[in-house]
Amino acid sequence: MKHLLATAFLAGALALPAGVMAADYSIMAPAAPGGGWDQTARAMQEALTAEGISGNVQVTNVPGAGGTIGLAQFAQEAKGDPSRLIVGGYVMVGAILTNKAPVTLDAVTPIARLTGEYEVIVVPAASDIKTLADLVAKLKADPGSVSWAGGSAGGTDHITAGLFAKTAGVDPKAVNYVAFSGGGEALAAVLGSQVTVGISGYGEFQSQVEAGALRVIGVSAPEKVAIIDGPTFKEGGVDLVVQNWRGVWAGPDLSAEQVAAITADIEKMVNSETWKKTLETKGWNNTWLAGDAFKAQLATEIEATTAILKDIGLVE
Amino acid sequence: MPTGTNANTRRPDWAALIIAAGLALLAAVVAWDASRLGGGGAYARIGPQTIPYAIAICLGGLAFWTVIEAWRGDFPEREPQEFAPVLWIVGGLVLQLATISIAGFSIATGLLFGFVARGFGARKMWLTIPAGILFASIIWLIFARGLSLTLPRGPLEAALVTVVTGIGTAVSSLFGGVA
Amino acid sequence: MDTFLLLWQGLAVALQPINLLYALVGVTLGTAVGVLPGIGPATTVALLLPVTYKLDPAGSLIMFAGIYYGGMYGGSTTSILLNTPGESASIVTALEGNKMAKKGRGGPALATAAIGSFVAGLIATLALAFLAPWVVSVALAFGPREYFALMVLAFVTVSAAFGDSALRGLTSLFIGLTLGLVGIDLQTGQARLSFSHPSLLDGIEVTTLAVAMFAVGETLYVAAQGKRAPESIEPVRGSLWMSARDWARSWKAWLRGTVIGFPIGAMPAGGAELGTFFSYAVEKKLSKHPEEFGEGAIEGVAGPEAANNASAAGTLVPLLTLGLPTSATAAIMLAGFQQYGLQPGPLLFTSNPQLVWGLIASLLVANLMLIVLNLPLIGLWVRLLTIPKPWLYGGILMFATLGTIGANPSVFELAMLLVFGLLGYGLRVFHFPIAPVVVGLILGPMAEQQLRRALAISQGDVMVLFTSPISAVLLFLAAVALILPLVLRAQGRGRVLAAVAADSD
Repeated sequence: MKHLLATAFLAGALALPAGVMAADYSIMAPAAPGGGWDQTARAMQEALTAEGISGNVQVTNVPGAGGTIGLAQFAQEAKGDPSRLIVGGYVMVGAILTNKAPVTLDAVTPIARLTGEYEVIVVPAASDIKTLADLVAKLKADPGSVSWAGGSAGGTDHITAGLFAKTAGVDPKAVNYVAFSGGGEALAAVLGSQVTVGISGYGEFQSQVEAGALRVIGVSAPEKVAIIDGPTFKEGGVDLVVQNWRGVWAGPDLSAEQVAAITADIEKMVNSETWKKTLETKGWNNTWLAGDAFKAQLATEIEATTAILKDIGLVE
Repeated sequence: MPTGTNANTRRPDWAALIIAAGLALLAAVVAWDASRLGGGGAYARIGPQTIPYAIAICLGGLAFWTVIEAWRGDFPEREPQEFAPVLWIVGGLVLQLATISIAGFSIATGLLFGFVARGFGARKMWLTIPAGILFASIIWLIFARGLSLTLPRGPLEAALVTVVTGIGTAVSSLFGGVA
Repeated sequence: MDTFLLLWQGLAVALQPINLLYALVGVTLGTAVGVLPGIGPATTVALLLPVTYKLDPAGSLIMFAGIYYGGMYGGSTTSILLNTPGESASIVTALEGNKMAKKGRGGPALATAAIGSFVAGLIATLALAFLAPWVVSVALAFGPREYFALMVLAFVTVSAAFGDSALRGLTSLFIGLTLGLVGIDLQTGQARLSFSHPSLLDGIEVTTLAVAMFAVGETLYVAAQGKRAPESIEPVRGSLWMSARDWARSWKAWLRGTVIGFPIGAMPAGGAELGTFFSYAVEKKLSKHPEEFGEGAIEGVAGPEAANNASAAGTLVPLLTLGLPTSATAAIMLAGFQQYGLQPGPLLFTSNPQLVWGLIASLLVANLMLIVLNLPLIGLWVRLLTIPKPWLYGGILMFATLGTIGANPSVFELAMLLVFGLLGYGLRVFHFPIAPVVVGLILGPMAEQQLRRALAISQGDVMVLFTSPISAVLLFLAAVALILPLVLRAQGRGRVLAAVAADSD
């Protein structure tokens, strides 16, 4: 009976194709509405349709566990379907490791890295820590006395704090990292001088820095960033570069032509005026990197992240 | 509601004792789960396992308290329950769960509607199930197509989209394709 | 001063006929989506935000404000009529509101919710306009230890306000606290009570639990009563409208709810639910009719609904003055503002006064539209209750599953809905209160995280909890609230009260 019904449904499905055109995309944001991945997916939706690259773009949210739940679902559902895309990024790399996720980024097809944001370390304007050297000295004297406010344990902020300590010659395990849910809460804790320093993407702190309530003492960029008023880690004596990037992947089992067609569409989107305008309003950097270069970069990053998570003690 | 009349009978209340056993079991599971967590509370001195242990102890205490009340017959009297309607509704939810990814939102939810109605005494399932599927597909159209909420899509939804798009194309071509 | 002039200009724009129409459309859409159980204001705003992109900045801000307030309000209608909270901030509304609806007083319940939301929205929006910088400096004084003390106070007052049996109330609360443990621990990234199941890593969704406990549990319980349950509910007994007595009992509750909800909404880690809990506890304490609580006391609807809407305006305080999105809804709104080149933050009020005051004026207009739309509809909504039971409950479960799967498209979420629905049914059969389970799930994780943060910052020194004046006062209040009833009980007065409560059960 069940089989009969299923067959009937199938026959119906075949007789009435779903009306999906070649240029349609369905983008999964493996997070709840409002976060960075969701915003990236919706910005893509806007740019792809506004520029006429695609006729119809759907965004679905599958929240959970740093994107690993969405990733697992996507890897299964999007097999061989060139209309499906998933947004992800550096946070997912860490989450896959800390959650011991069964489905990793190996299960999907990398298309391109799209945007990026640098991490900054900030202090309240009245803090007696003026420079990175002050911070390093305080860390070396008593690591517990420096409390760091940032996002959830094992996320980009935590990883950056750990890498910073390690590079500065302090045991990453000794970092007194206090996790807050979402950048907003961490920002409030720094503003209220509840913690010693704050660490997060610059966007979280930007308006407070401009208003003079917070001071940037270090930026994780390789060289000075025009819009950020503060020295790089390297200038402050800590040779470290971290970028919280976001990118896009397609499903597994696609032909080379299909991957090339998707990459071409995304490249067209990245070069469009709509996309450029979005990057500007949201303060994201264009970090376009596609194909094998992206794959190689990904492999290096996974290796480095595994190492630091072990040092912090989050992964055995 | 009738108030407890068995307050003086001093007969153990078996259902309440089962609840107590359930609470004790829950306490054991929470404590066991906490025992395999690593430290991590380096500076806070209380780690991820501290609060679970506290909760487990309280659950254990509540289990003990429930035993005492059960023994003294302090639990309020229950009203007799009819289980057939409950089974119909649970059956409907299970059926929806099992079919929704294959059959899509409308058919699965239509089945749920029919089963729930049956649980409340509407026996004509040949009427309620199609009515439910009709409601569900209207809802699907409004929320999934109109407001782009993600709802499972099956053959019926695919057909609906074709029909709606067809009507849309026909209308727009009729008016010179302004849209 | 300038402030009034700017607000006046904003209002002049917002009151143009076309903008009024946008406000109406926004409120209608927001209410329609917000009404779905499980879909809260965050998802509503996210879904509908693209609709506003097509308009000019003024029009879109107005529609946006309408969607926000509509989404916040939408949840209360289903809470009252169907005992199915649309979102976590309307859980408390269901407690008294649904009891009222079952007694044929759904009309007054909906009216006091609508008018209370309007009054609270009006006062809170004005407070946002004139007190924002001051409120935010108070909110920032709250660090982890102060929040922890606030949570302790919430636990004590709220658990005193639920149910008549300490054993059963506490058991429900601890079931909720246990459920709150599920998922990844924020501070260490370790999974607790997840049994290696990836879908449990993010913990149990409050809305899923609330919809399951209330909507599914209630449906099962009503069905299990079989023929003994009344065939249908009389939708209107007495007046459809609020009587003079209802007004007299409501207005103070509205004002108290506003005063409680607004500052808690403005706190970076407050949240709308907390305000509704406190408001309910306060109303129950202050009411001249405490015996009506649990049986349909109008103050228990008026206060929490006002608190809910006041906290919605409160959320905008840190967003507009600090650029701090304190909730998922606020994060989405931040994205929406950026669309118009509006960068919320300390400089916003000086750099972009037209848009800020335009937004505040829009909120006032949207608030007005909400009541214009909803008051006339009360008669219609109440008729929902005349739908024959098989169709009514079939529809409730249809919408409950729609909301759950729409918020998170996973079959696992539906399975949780079923499991917790059965739990809710079981608790009802044995007269365990339902609300403390949800309260435990919401407050437990917040309290634990704040405590651990406070102790991490102090490097393990527990005394910091008492050295901050704010947290010391809050903890003192909590101790009083805990000990006072015990003292009264010891004097024998509690025995009488308990007997009264048991009889009214």
